[in-house]
Amino acid sequence: MDIKDRVLVVEDDKSIRNFFRTVLEANHYDVLMAGTGAEAHSLITSRCPDVVILDLGLPDMDGLKILKSIREWSGMPVIVVSARTHEKDKVEALDMGADDYITKPFGTSELLARIRTAIRHARAACLAPEGMHTGVFRSGGMEIDYDKHRVYVDGKDVGLTQNEYKIVSLLGRYGGKVLTYDFIIKEIWGPNMRTDNRILRVNMANIRRKIEKNPAQPEYLFTEVGVGYRIVDPD
Amino acid sequence: MGKKQGTFKKDCLITAGILGIAALIALFLQQFVSTDTHVPLLFVLAVLFVSRFTDGYLYGIAASVVAVIEVNYIFTYPYFEINFVLAGYSLTFIAMLVVSVIVSALTTQIKQQEQIRLEAEKEKMRGNLLRAVSHDIRTPLTSIVGSASGILDNEEILPRERMLELVKDIKEEAQWLIRIVENLLSVTRINGENAHINTDDEIVEEIVGSAVLKFRKRFPEMEVETAMPEDVLMVPMDGILIEQVIVNLLENSALHGRTTSLIRIIVDKRPGRLLISVEDDGEGIRESVLPVMFDGSLQSREGEEYDSRRNMGIGLSVCMSIVKAHKGNMKAENRSEGGARVTFWLPMEENNGY
Repeated sequence: MDIKDRVLVVEDDKSIRNFFRTVLEANHYDVLMAGTGAEAHSLITSRCPDVVILDLGLPDMDGLKILKSIREWSGMPVIVVSARTHEKDKVEALDMGADDYITKPFGTSELLARIRTAIRHARAACLAPEGMHTGVFRSGGMEIDYDKHRVYVDGKDVGLTQNEYKIVSLLGRYGGKVLTYDFIIKEIWGPNMRTDNRILRVNMANIRRKIEKNPAQPEYLFTEVGVGYRIVDPD
Repeated sequence: MGKKQGTFKKDCLITAGILGIAALIALFLQQFVSTDTHVPLLFVLAVLFVSRFTDGYLYGIAASVVAVIEVNYIFTYPYFEINFVLAGYSLTFIAMLVVSVIVSALTTQIKQQEQIRLEAEKEKMRGNLLRAVSHDIRTPLTSIVGSASGILDNEEILPRERMLELVKDIKEEAQWLIRIVENLLSVTRINGENAHINTDDEIVEEIVGSAVLKFRKRFPEMEVETAMPEDVLMVPMDGILIEQVIVNLLENSALHGRTTSLIRIIVDKRPGRLLISVEDDGEGIRESVLPVMFDGSLQSREGEEYDSRRNMGIGLSVCMSIVKAHKGNMKAENRSEGGARVTFWLPMEENNGY
């Protein structure tokens, strides 16, 4: 028998729950449903889902609270669903440990892609503890060689500087996931760096000029306006 | 609170100042002129100025009362005594009080009317937008409700491909609604009265790139070219809003150009300005539409060509308010080689480039 990945959906709206159940079951996930924060809490602790899809607007508590309590004891992937369009809320959820966010309204293909990415990251994190990154990240014509500290596009070394390489390899380690400006700055320049993200932005612009054919229509490095950066999904 | 107190203090000072000046002039004239008929007139004038330069009735009326007492006390015989019983004078004072009160009331009223006119203007714009929105929302909703109940009611007799068609319609119409809502949300990011926005330094190519990516998700078959200067341009803006402007312009080109196959985004640097144009190879914009494109009234004038033009009104008027809130401007034209071009500019610092 197949072992299915178990998805917990925390969502209070009936028709959206319907939609989640239909789509996820059709794509061979084992689906659990919670309509309130309290229900979510008990299901998370008793049934250990592989991924949690968490709506931030719940009737009985703020979704961010649930996220916080999960993060106190588990690194299980959490995808935050938000109807809030202000990028500040997305940044907050990501900085509190959400693996990804998806904004209502979204399509099924987008949803499934996020779930796959989140589960893959969780598995990868189990296999290779942080800081021990080796091997190669490959997507289309781009290659990050973690052993040689080099980035190649179409087989050619693009000649990144030390910091530029650090940024790209950090994004690569979280392939497909959005990293906030603050997170990247802390990882690259340390916690005492000013919160001004200008230096990161300029670095990214230079990286784009080395990696992308057309910086205004990138193939590998994407901007989530007001939130952060994301590298393309690996092949 | 602080602001209110500030204007209170300021208005009191203005009132006292103007009355003081009037008194000084009156005292000065007293040295040379034997009659004192000019005195009440001088104070009426003072009251008029007080009403003009302060907020509300209060200061004007207070000033007229003070002026009457002042005139009686200082400038009429017996000097430095309050005396209303002198023949004829009481009438003068009453007349003066009435004139002062009416003058102050009138100037206040004029100011209020000006305010009302501005409000009405704003209301009208809001009304236009609301009308356009409800018009734009009703049609897709009708289609969604119709298609969904069509499927539910005829589930047994509908051929499969007919059903799929209806479901596809539902999806498309719903996506249309999403776009309208996104536009409306954008407007709420611009803060009321003085159209204040929060700007950050954004790298132009990131905003353009993100807008193109969003557009591509919706119109995968459309070709988009971008051309921009080599150097990294950092321009203060609300990135989300400018992204929305570019997405709207791209969508307009795709939907309203009809025959559009290629859209080009051109970014250019001018002294003190960032120029962004979106041009297409479609049918262009009808000459009759060009002058009213940005004011949101397009919807109510159209009707007969509804399907091909809808949302253009909202999309463009939203673009215009966003660009205006950035203290930039926007214009639309037809290209001589065919197709439309919409250009907007944002202010930026002279020495930009890294």
